[in-house]
Amino acid sequence: MSLPISGVPTAVDQPGQLPGAQPGAAGPGPAARQPTTHALARMGRAIRSNRKATVGTVLLAIFLFAALFPGLIAKDDPGADAYQPKLGISTAHLLGTTAQGQDMWAQLVWGTRNVMIIAFVVGLAATGIAVLIGVAAAYLGGLWDGSLSLLTDVLLVIPLFPLLIIIAGYAHGGGTLVLILVITVTSWSYTARQLRSQALSLRHRDFLEAAKVRGERRLYIIVVEVIPTMTSLIVAAFLTNALYAVLFASSLQFIGLGNPNTQSWGTMLYWAENEAALQTGQAMWAIAPGLCIALLGAAFALLNYAFDEIGNPALRPVRRRRRKRA
Amino acid sequence: MRRLTAIGAVVAACLLAASCSAGKGGSGSNNSSSNNAKTASSVTISNENGALWTCGFSPFNGSDTLLSVGFVYETLVYQNALQSGHTTPMLASSWKWGNGNKTLTFTIRNGVKFNNGSPMSAKDVVYTFNLIKKFPALDLTGDWAVLSSVTQSGSNQVVMTFKHPAVPAFYYIAGQTPIVPQAIWSKISNPVSFSDPNPVGTGPYKVNPCTKQNITYTANPNYWQPGLPNIKKVQYPAFTSNNTANDQLANGQAQWGSQYIPSIKSFYTAKSPNFHYWFPPTVNVSVVPNLTNPLLKNVKVRQAISYAIDREKVSSIGESGYEPPANQSGIVTPTFSSWQDHSLASKYNYGYNPTKAKQLLASAGFHPGSDGIMVNSKGQKLSFNCINIGDYSDWVASMQVVAQNLKAVGIQVTPDNLTNTDFTAALYAGKFQLAYYDQQTFGPSPYYELRNWLDSSGTAPIGKTAATNYERYINPAVDKLFTQFASSTSDSQQHSIMNQIQGVMLSQLPIIPVVQAVDWYQWDDSNLSGWPTPNNPYAQPAAYAYPDQGQVLLHLRAK
Amino acid sequence: MRFALRRLGFFVVTLWVALTLNFLLPRLMPGNPALAMLAKFHGQIGPGTLHALEVLFGVNTQQSLWSQYVTYLHHVFTLNFGPSLDFYPESVTSVIGSAIWWTLGLVGVATILAFVLGTGLGIVSAWKRGGRLDSVLPPVFVITSAIPYFWMGMVLVLIFGFTLGWLPTQGGYYVSTDSPGLNWIFFQDVLSHAVLPALALIITLIGTWILTMRNTMITTLAEDYVRMARAKGLPGRRIMLDYAARNAILPNLTGFAMSLGFVVGGAILIEYVFNYPGVGYMLLQAVQGEDYPLEQALFLLITVAVLVAILIADIATALLDPRTRTSG
Repeated sequence: MSLPISGVPTAVDQPGQLPGAQPGAAGPGPAARQPTTHALARMGRAIRSNRKATVGTVLLAIFLFAALFPGLIAKDDPGADAYQPKLGISTAHLLGTTAQGQDMWAQLVWGTRNVMIIAFVVGLAATGIAVLIGVAAAYLGGLWDGSLSLLTDVLLVIPLFPLLIIIAGYAHGGGTLVLILVITVTSWSYTARQLRSQALSLRHRDFLEAAKVRGERRLYIIVVEVIPTMTSLIVAAFLTNALYAVLFASSLQFIGLGNPNTQSWGTMLYWAENEAALQTGQAMWAIAPGLCIALLGAAFALLNYAFDEIGNPALRPVRRRRRKRA
Repeated sequence: MRRLTAIGAVVAACLLAASCSAGKGGSGSNNSSSNNAKTASSVTISNENGALWTCGFSPFNGSDTLLSVGFVYETLVYQNALQSGHTTPMLASSWKWGNGNKTLTFTIRNGVKFNNGSPMSAKDVVYTFNLIKKFPALDLTGDWAVLSSVTQSGSNQVVMTFKHPAVPAFYYIAGQTPIVPQAIWSKISNPVSFSDPNPVGTGPYKVNPCTKQNITYTANPNYWQPGLPNIKKVQYPAFTSNNTANDQLANGQAQWGSQYIPSIKSFYTAKSPNFHYWFPPTVNVSVVPNLTNPLLKNVKVRQAISYAIDREKVSSIGESGYEPPANQSGIVTPTFSSWQDHSLASKYNYGYNPTKAKQLLASAGFHPGSDGIMVNSKGQKLSFNCINIGDYSDWVASMQVVAQNLKAVGIQVTPDNLTNTDFTAALYAGKFQLAYYDQQTFGPSPYYELRNWLDSSGTAPIGKTAATNYERYINPAVDKLFTQFASSTSDSQQHSIMNQIQGVMLSQLPIIPVVQAVDWYQWDDSNLSGWPTPNNPYAQPAAYAYPDQGQVLLHLRAK
Repeated sequence: MRFALRRLGFFVVTLWVALTLNFLLPRLMPGNPALAMLAKFHGQIGPGTLHALEVLFGVNTQQSLWSQYVTYLHHVFTLNFGPSLDFYPESVTSVIGSAIWWTLGLVGVATILAFVLGTGLGIVSAWKRGGRLDSVLPPVFVITSAIPYFWMGMVLVLIFGFTLGWLPTQGGYYVSTDSPGLNWIFFQDVLSHAVLPALALIITLIGTWILTMRNTMITTLAEDYVRMARAKGLPGRRIMLDYAARNAILPNLTGFAMSLGFVVGGAILIEYVFNYPGVGYMLLQAVQGEDYPLEQALFLLITVAVLVAILIADIATALLDPRTRTSG
């Protein structure tokens, strides 16, 4: 499965093709029958050995820490207009102050919480919907599959960002909750499609046939046999959805469709744009939050990419072998 | 593949080369002089309108008046609100009040022609006023609320009679009502929807041509003031975004700005010694309490709010210091300093005083609750929502400061940022607890703005639409004061009435002014002189102020 | 034939869904937002127009939902979107007409350039596995594709616009000095204003295509027929282009089409940052100005454009790759 960034679907989506388009190529299949704890341990080892995964995990951990314990890193109240405006970088203000006299470092750190909440809630919710619809479509087959797939494909094709703008516009901008709802409801289709493809390809695997022969009910098969097999793809779907949630949400906040009073990276950018930060020598105000968004996004993308490589060894970077001197 | 990338590189290089040669023309600041040297007798305006031009110039259409009145159409008199109503005769050469201020007679100037060459006379004036009487939608300034008749007397006089004395209405009748040619407008079947794409007026300019992106005004060869205007061409581009308009000022492409520019010193004035700005204050931006709210009804609560707000900080942080702190008396300074009653103001001494605010709340029976919010013995908390226009980021920022100030004394205010439409709907209907707003009614004295806020004729019950008095302040004694002001012409009488009105603002606080809204104005005097300045405020300097922008253009000349 | 019909059918269904969404959204939102908007414009637009808009948005109307829907569909198919409220009395179609060329130019050129460059670099990177290009490119572009579009724009503005002062940072051309027309000055002006926005778009888009092309190339290079070509002794460049790339590019074409939806989204943000007078910028302004007729029309336009592009890409893929025809 290649990088799903920017909506480019993977080879998986071609009808009838398996990941890697290779019969017997290492898809997420071989890890299938291990119990969950083994899978986690293997994941851990894989993360440590793959450089991209390590970097991604470290970045994510930093942001998680900032979201959970902002008070430890930033002592100031991010919303308080307590200082002299437009101060530069100093020991008292690690990034300086905004045009309204707020400490920029505090805003950045405290803003992480809003971003992470959106990322994780939308990530989980959208992935949940995607699993439900994707796997259901694959297993129920027939008319169910037809209509669910149609729904997925239609939503996939309709340009999401303009739709988001219009909905947010009608909702007259809104707080974080509105953003979460609106993004979740519109962005699950891409990962649903991937999950459906994979579920389809697993349908006739031996272990599932065995379960059917044993007489297990369909629901049991789906929940206990199929879904754990798809763990790595589900994790990857979560990462994709989280990434998009971050990008969409901060974009909407940037153009002023969020609540300008919340503490978030997107709203920092909104204020920076309003105060012409770039034109008036306050570039840090625009650069810092944007950089954070990029880094968080990169963390999700790197992890996604790394999962790709872990699953499909053909994609792993080739290490040059040193020529032995005679 | 290598071939493709090579081609790509060549294409990119070409683009860069082409754009570098074109790009240098505008992004540096050293080009302002070379750009303007070839067009010294033209001026370009930078006023962001938020939309492209519709090329309609009807002087009776609220969205188009700023484009036509002053440039193409003129009024009887020019009255300068910044100089205590100093008057300059325009289409009327003189006038006289009579009959206890119930009659106003104008003598119409001789020798004035419309820009198509036909002469203007008293009959056009009479026609114009009766036109807007017949079609009230055209009466933008509400002239006929006070007028009872307008007739011609003799060959060059116009006599206006009033229903009751209304001297302040002179500003609207004589200073803001544009005179249109009878020959043209009498042939229009529906003047209300007439867009007037080729305006014919007596003013210094004609429209030639107008496109969606830009209006070009050229000098009117038939203009009645000899030798004027000096500036033969005016360019008025349509800007849809603030940033683009600001950019055009910063790189010298536009010389006359009416923009809100953040961090104006580093954005604008630092770029050239010829770039200046001035923001004359006009009206108050206030916290508007809903006086029907049981907690806000208590004057001590309102007083506490007024003492708790750090107006200096709201001004410096919310408005980048452009809009100076306001006075609780409602008198805008320095514009109306001569109206201020200093002894009254110092008696109340409203300034940033959180301690006094807390004392007042205590004396009103409030004590801090466990969550820090003031609560009284009945369990009622001082917790309010404040509606605000979300689009105005400076108001949003100001509200943040106000909320923080009030939190420090135990009053919780939650800003509710609404769209323009939702805000005005809620404001007019009284569906708010607190609101943040200003009345865009500026005139030659504090009367105009304060009357809108305080006179009960502008209010309505909650749920119905109030036109101007949104806080629902009803005080017949104050209504009488405004009527008295309207009938008097004696300076001393007017001042003494205005002092009483200030007393009401200070003791009853129907609204709580926070900062003073200003006219936005930037100018570039590298090639043009004659600009209005704080030392010579001969007109309101914003390009959107009409008919003042016509006066500015009449004063401008090449250096 | 069946394939083409299926794709066409999908096109029609998606279009119908978009139209219905457009119709239902203002009615579903709590407190029909159109109500407030129409109240605001009450005095400014003629009563006939007002009534037409009320029908369009389901305000104060006695008609049943179904008949409103039918009227709405009729209007859409006769391209009668009514007047724009921000630009009243100009009609929505004429307002859009002025902006669409800017977007087509900017987005069209930038997307094609990004696709060509990206695919090219992806092919080379895959061909030279383990080379310097291959080890540097993927991580770099993983990161650039996670960069928000508008931030890329802001960074470029900062570097090339303000710090170096090489290029203009706002608008499509210098509104106050140039008049649109077929003259060299105008053309130069337009080009110089287009460089930064196009660059921002290209940089954010290119990463995806490099990576996907690289990944599909790598998979294709492992195929038997490539090995056969190598065994036959064919020159490397020929194998890379004629055997591998030609097959690897097919999934990318579909991906290209699919990603257009996102390209459009990114273009909106870039137009916003640069105040570029295109359709995306106009959509944002319409939303901020509560110009609902214009908003709706723009959304439909964007959706139809994306659908058409996908249809074309699908047909192209079907023509180029027989496998999709049979398995579809």
